[in-house]
Formats: sequence, C-alpha cells, structure tokens
Amino acid sequence: MAITRRQFIKRTGLATAGTLLGPSLFSNPFVRQAMADTIGHRYLVVLFLDGGNDGLNTVIPYQSGSLRTAYDANRRTDAGGINVTQGQLDGSAIGTTGTLIDNDLGTSLRLALHPGFASLKQLYDLGKVAVIQGCGYPDYNLSHDQARTIWETANPLGVSAYSGTGWVGRHLAAEYGGSDIPGVCISGEVAPEFRQTATSVLAIDRLRDFGFPYDDDHSDDQGAKRSAFQDLYDNAVADAQPLRNYLGNSGGATLLSSESYPQAHGLYQHDRAAASQTYDDVGRSTANDLREIAKVIYAVEQGLPNIHAHFFRLSNGGYDTHSDQGGYDPDNGQQHSLHAEVGDSLKAFYDDLASMSHPMDPNPVVNRVCVVVWSEFSRRIPQNDNGTDHGSQGPMFVVGSSVIGGVYGGHPDIANLDDNENTVYSQAAGPHRSTDFRDVFGTILKHHVGMAQADILASVLPLDAGNPTDFWTTANFDLGFLP
Amino acid sequence: MPVNPGATLSDAEARHLLRRAGLGPLPKDFEHIQGATRGAAADLMLDFRPKPFKPGGRDFDAFHNKWVKFILKTKTPLHSKLVLFWHDHFSVGNTKVQDTKLMAQYVQVLHTYAKGNMKDFVKVMGKTPAMMEFLDTVRNKKHQPNENYARELQELFTLGVKDLATPPQDNYTQDDVVQIARAFTGWDYDNGGHAFFDDGQHDTTDHFPGRGPKVIYQSTGGFGPAGVDYTQPEGEVAGEIDRVIDIIFQHRDSTGKNTVARRTAYRLCEYFAHANPALTTFVDEVVADSGFDTTFDISALVRSIFIHDDFYLTAAGEPYGSTTVKSVKWPIDYVASTLRLLQMKPKGKDFQIQGGSFSRLIDHLSSMGQVLGDPPSVFGWDWEQGWVSSATLLARYNFARDLGAARGGGGSFRPEKLMDLSLTDPGDIVDAVASVLGVQDHLKAADRTALIAYLTDNGANPTLDLNDFDVRDEKLNGLFTLVMQSPAYQLH
Repeated sequence: MAITRRQFIKRTGLATAGTLLGPSLFSNPFVRQAMADTIGHRYLVVLFLDGGNDGLNTVIPYQSGSLRTAYDANRRTDAGGINVTQGQLDGSAIGTTGTLIDNDLGTSLRLALHPGFASLKQLYDLGKVAVIQGCGYPDYNLSHDQARTIWETANPLGVSAYSGTGWVGRHLAAEYGGSDIPGVCISGEVAPEFRQTATSVLAIDRLRDFGFPYDDDHSDDQGAKRSAFQDLYDNAVADAQPLRNYLGNSGGATLLSSESYPQAHGLYQHDRAAASQTYDDVGRSTANDLREIAKVIYAVEQGLPNIHAHFFRLSNGGYDTHSDQGGYDPDNGQQHSLHAEVGDSLKAFYDDLASMSHPMDPNPVVNRVCVVVWSEFSRRIPQNDNGTDHGSQGPMFVVGSSVIGGVYGGHPDIANLDDNENTVYSQAAGPHRSTDFRDVFGTILKHHVGMAQADILASVLPLDAGNPTDFWTTANFDLGFLP
Repeated sequence: MPVNPGATLSDAEARHLLRRAGLGPLPKDFEHIQGATRGAAADLMLDFRPKPFKPGGRDFDAFHNKWVKFILKTKTPLHSKLVLFWHDHFSVGNTKVQDTKLMAQYVQVLHTYAKGNMKDFVKVMGKTPAMMEFLDTVRNKKHQPNENYARELQELFTLGVKDLATPPQDNYTQDDVVQIARAFTGWDYDNGGHAFFDDGQHDTTDHFPGRGPKVIYQSTGGFGPAGVDYTQPEGEVAGEIDRVIDIIFQHRDSTGKNTVARRTAYRLCEYFAHANPALTTFVDEVVADSGFDTTFDISALVRSIFIHDDFYLTAAGEPYGSTTVKSVKWPIDYVASTLRLLQMKPKGKDFQIQGGSFSRLIDHLSSMGQVLGDPPSVFGWDWEQGWVSSATLLARYNFARDLGAARGGGGSFRPEKLMDLSLTDPGDIVDAVASVLGVQDHLKAADRTALIAYLTDNGANPTLDLNDFDVRDEKLNGLFTLVMQSPAYQLH
C-alpha cells in the first residue's frame, strides 16, 4: 500500500527540513521524484450532477422481466413520456450498436445505459467503468439543498463535528498542511465537499485567466505591490477571527498559485494541442472543465513548480428535470443532452490521459486517475406531466483505467414503492439491497487514494451512531470496483 | 435592554450603519446622521417611498445593467439593499425563465414589497409569472401535480425544513408538500404577464378523493393531529393558495414561536449583521420589539435590527480575536459601494470599466460570483465564506486594479476629487485613502505600516509629492488598489 505524502514527510524527516527550507525543498527535482515514486501521484476527480439525476433513466432495465414491467408501467411512451424502449436501448430501433451493459446482480436481468451514454458505453466495454446501483443513505431527503449537503459532508445525521467540512476536505486536512495546495475546484467557489480549514483548496474557472492583476503602466512598481499585498494577507492570517484568517489564507494561496497555474495552461496548450482539440469537439462545459483538470495533472507530471494538486472537483447542472425531461430523442428534452455531455466529456478526458502516458511507463498517469460521479438524489419512477419529481437512491459511476469495470449493487426495487412513491432504501439481504454512498467513497479512499481504513473511519467517514435499521454502522470499503 | 433606540451613535457606529444599510456612504451621508440616536438614524434611513423600479431592456445584459445603474444612482440605498436580500430569498433566475420582460416584472415586485408586508409579498410572489416559470407552477396540473413550488414555498420562502430549536425539529412533512402542491394546480399566466386561474386544471377533493382531504400540518406547526383544512368552497377555490399562505404564517415551531417570523428575522440578522446571530438575545428580541410575528411589517423588523446592540458588533476594529464577528461583503456591494465611493461610472453600451482589462461590469460581477437576475439556483447565493475563493478573490483584485488603472476617457479614476493632494506624509496619505474607502476603523496598525512601506519604497522616499502626476499615477493609484484588495476591505 502506498504511503501518503504526510507519512512520507514524517518518516523521512523532511517535515523539519521543509520548515527550514520552505516550499523550495519541494521544487527540488530529486525530492519531488522521490515523493512521486513513493506515493505514485494518485489523482481523484469528483463530478457532481447537480439537480438530482434521474437514475432510473440512467441505468435502465432492458431485459423483459419484473424490472422492465414496472418500468413500462410507470414511464410513458406518449408525447410527454420519457420511456426508453428496449429497441432504443439495444439499438435495433435507432440503428446503433446500443448501450447494453451487464446484468443486474440481484435479478440477473440485463441492464442498459441511457442511449445518451454511447461514449461511456465504449469505456464500459473497455472495462473502465464501474456502475454502482442503488446508492443512497437511510431516511432519504427530498430537498436539493439538504440531500446535497448530506452527500458533500457524508454526514446524514448532521453530527456537528463533521458539519461545515466536506468528505474530501477532511481527507485533505488529515494528509496535508497549511502551505500545501492539494485541491482545485473548477468553479468560482470551493465546493462544500472540499471545505476544511487546515490546507488550501483553489477555485479556478480557467487557468489562463488566473494570473495576478498588476497595473501594466507601472510594471516597475510590481515588486512593491506584491510585497505590500503579501503583508496585508499575512496580517490577516495572524488573526484568530475566523473570516479574516480564512481570507488571509485564501488570498495568500491565490497570490502564490496565480504565479504558477497560468503556466500549466501554456504548457498543455503547447504540448498537447491535439488532445485539447478533442475537448473542443465535444464543445460542452463538462469537457472544458475536464480539460482544465487535465492541464493541472499534466503540469504536475511534468514537474512544473508550485503545482501539486491531486484532488479535483467539477459539476454539471440542469438535472432537476421536473419538466421537459425527454426520453431517447436527442432533439427533445434535456436528459439525453446531459448524459451525452457527461459521457462524451469523460471519454475525451480518458483518451487524453491515455495518450499522455508513455508506453514504457510501468505506472502511467492514466492508471492513476479515478473519476467518481454522483448526484444528490434520483427521481421518482412515476413520471409527472413530462418530467419527474425528486426521488431516492440512484446510481454512481466510477471511471478510470485501474477500475474493475462492471455492474455493482442491486437495482432499486421499482415495483414496491413507499408512501412517497419512491424506491425503498434497504440494507436487508436480497436482490435490491441498497449501497450506502459512504462505502463507495471509502472504497475509493482506501483502494485508490491509499488511506488506511482505520484513518478513514477516524477522520473522514464517521459511522452512524446508534443502531436503527439500515443505519451505516459497519463499513465495507472493499466493494470490489478497485483493486 | 439590547434594543436601544435612544443610544447615541459613535462615529464608527454611524459609519457602520451607513455601510450595512447602504452602499458606499459619502461624507455628506455621514454628516446627516453624525451624533444622532440609533432610532433617529434608523427612521431616517427607512423614510422612503419604495420606487417600483422595473429594469426594462431588450436582452439580459441590458436588463442587468439597468438594474445595476439604478443601484449606483439610488438616493435610497437601503431600498436596494433590501431588494438584494429578497432577490436572494425569492431566488429566480433568467437561465430558466428565459424572458427578461418577466424578469423585469419580478424585479418590480421585489422593489414594491421590499419593506412592506411579508405575507402580501409571499402571496404576490406565487402569482408572479417569472416565479411561476422558475418553480414550475405553470406545469402543475391536476392529473400530475408538480411539487416544486409547494416545496420551496415552505423550505425557502417561509418556514425552512427544520426549525431553529436545539435539536432542530421538522417544520413539515412530504405529505404537506403533496397537499400544498394541489392548491397551486391550475395557475398560469397570459401573454400580458398576468396570472390567471384555470378552474379546469385545479385539483379538487371531489375529483381526486384518493388523494385525501386538503389537510396540512397534522404533525407539526402547533395545529395538532387534526391539522388544518385549507379547502375553499366551490366557486372560491382560486383562493386556496392565499389560504395556504395565511396558514403558513400562523405556523408555530416546536417551541411555540411563529416559524416564519423567527426564520425571516434570523436571515435578516445574518444579512445586515453577521452569521450565526444569537437566537434568543438577538433574533427573538427584534421580533418582539417589532411585532413582526403579528404584523409581518418588514420595515419595523429592519428598524429593530438597526437599534439592537448586536447589529453593531461587526463594527469592531482590531484586535480581531476568535470571538469577533465579521461579515463578507457581497460582490454587488463590493462593486457598487466602490464605484459610489470613487465617484466612477462604467461607460458605454457595454457598461465597461475604462482601465486594466477593460472588462464589462457584468463580467466582473460574474467572476466574483454574483450576477443579478441569475442566481446559481433556487437557494440563491452562498454567503460569507461562500463568497471567498481564489477565483472570486482574483476577480475582486482584478476589479480593483482596473479602477486604479482607469486613465483618460469619461470613466477615469480621479483621486483629486476625493482627497487633498497637498498631503506629503505617507501616514497621512494612507489615512486619507482609508477614509475615502471607509475602512478607517478596520485597517490594522500592521496594515498601515505595510502600506506606508509601499508608498515610500521601504523608506527610500520618505515624503511624496502627489501633485506630481507620475508619483500620483503610480503610488496613489496603487495605494487605492491595494486597499481595495486588502482583507479589511472585503469585510464589514
């Protein structure tokens, strides 16, 4: 098992040296190479589908049988209907090769991805996509805000010690220090799942625009301005007042990164123009955002100074399909377009990383990047006029070259609904057993990021206290989709 | 008693009130309330007739810029400050509405009711076409009711999912969402932007007996197990949505307090004062003082906040200890206040800042994370730390640089209009700039030292001749920019 950066620093005595020498130590190519060899530069990308993605029209029952019967009974084929027919799933009705995947484990019935995921299906066939069905948590919440917060904080019971910080953030806080900048959110804001106060997470929309603004008419005054700016922000860091302290750290990290991250853009555009074009060909915001992440990963791999981010976050919005959801038809309704955006963008990102890897490299970068895709809830199996209302548990995707592809977890039981007409979250053994989303995050932290299970439980993903039915009181961080 | 209308404002408190209740106060604004009591100053600021402003325009940019222009020019900045709060509260975005005429009408409703009666405000909001589009009321039909508006009406506009008790208790259930969605079935609007009721699309108990009686709040809200039936008699069913709102405004939380009053006061305290306002010693006191839980008079509630001790906590200067409270300026406040303080105006069709990156104002605001008329979601914006990231800070630094570098043309930066250029002592110059920008109470001594070091190039030039254009253009403009970029200037 790879050891973490902090453990490496502690074990080699570099912590003391680092304090004495400052960040320049980590600019030393020898030290950086030694660290890379040890921790293997694993990268994690978190992709949030904002609004509540309709999982029941994401992973769809294909084979005739109990699931398909219930699906057809609820999802209509008329004008406002969102039913995706068997012929549209296997491609026979639309002249494609279809989007069928493996069988549902519980019912042994064949499943399919929504036809919008044609590109993701290609990655699936390569064995690079894990589809984890029925992910959720007990007592599901139907409010966007509250459900999203539950996932981001990984804290459904609202234990106060874990509110205000995100699950990725707590991992970062455990492994990195104040002068590190281990995370980047491709956004105007730091995503709640990355929030913490121990280390710095950047929010960057576009790397090329991330340079610090000076007055061009007085370039000889830049040094004096930079020095005063640094002093003002150091003064704020020295304050115990939480907002001043937070601002101080954020502004300081911004100044430092503004002097390095724009170079990552230039380097990538210079070295990887062909790969860059493939994202333009997709032409959607998720593709553009993933390209920014690829630029940073490339810069880290190339050893560009002062760029050390390994954790990334992006989101795509528009999944709150109360109306105009659409079915198969790419030109009608929203969901096909959203799925195509996500699938096509992930394919471009994967191909970029694959071609970034040297054929002789025993540990190529493509093997060290893992993407996890989640949404705050799924949607209800009965549709409304031409959309769907808020639902309960839904599927997650984990995509990466080291992922063990396939279908995991049981399909939600769409034939037996609760009083809200939603599928039931259940940990009872059986064909429709649900998966607690924290086991998915924990499996990634343990098997991809390389954090020990005891550390994950102690500082990142706390088990639910008490023991009501279905509460998450036993962790399973070995779901099997990562080696 | 922490509500103290007779207390005389100190100068720092007067500046604080003007900053929080206004946008970029000028010296003459300060003179108006200097030495006044809290009550008299609050009355003065609240003494305006709400102008029902409507930002017409052929496209979204024009709509946006008209609204910002109104904010920059307003003589009653508290009105705009309240409108911004309600825009966040009743969040509606053109991204979904896709019609700037409807958006303009929605903004007009915000201006009309900003300091009025909140119950009337909520009733009107539900029949405002932009809102009906945004939260799918127009797609809420009797055969398949759409729950979107019914949920957000409770969660965001009035009650909140849980109350403010410890531990928090649920204010309503999914069944309440389902039943209230039925009340809103059949509402639509015509081409003229007027809401109307379509009897034929309304979900009545007769037609859908399986959905049960239209009874809400059976388990919460102090109505007991029987709940409240909001059904209106035949011929008056259009009134069901108003009846539902009347009931919501009578809802009591698990401690017996009026739920809407307490939550609204809490949010307004967060907005005007600071995050995590003390529940019993601040929020409950301003509700009691204003009678908001019976009158729902927004103006009275705001007045009570402005005369409360806790409102003045964020006025404190250094030392900034762990218990000091502060609040991050909203981007629109940062931008509008700065332009007003510097007496600068964006120019031209593109509403541009004439320096640095020569960016459009809407692009500056977008990078800072706040485009009026286009909030990120139904939840409005994330406040406080939510405003702060490397991306949004860099956007603020950019804006500050662009203003300091605005030379020539109609929108240029003219420090000679703002301060005495005969000053030569670097400490005096720093103090004068801090005063123009309104941070004289909040710069730390160490900040002042750093800025003096900047002006003098670490003591190499102990005095400055600001009448020398080159010195002024480099160092004075640079000093303004640095103060606008400083941590102190990002906070209230």
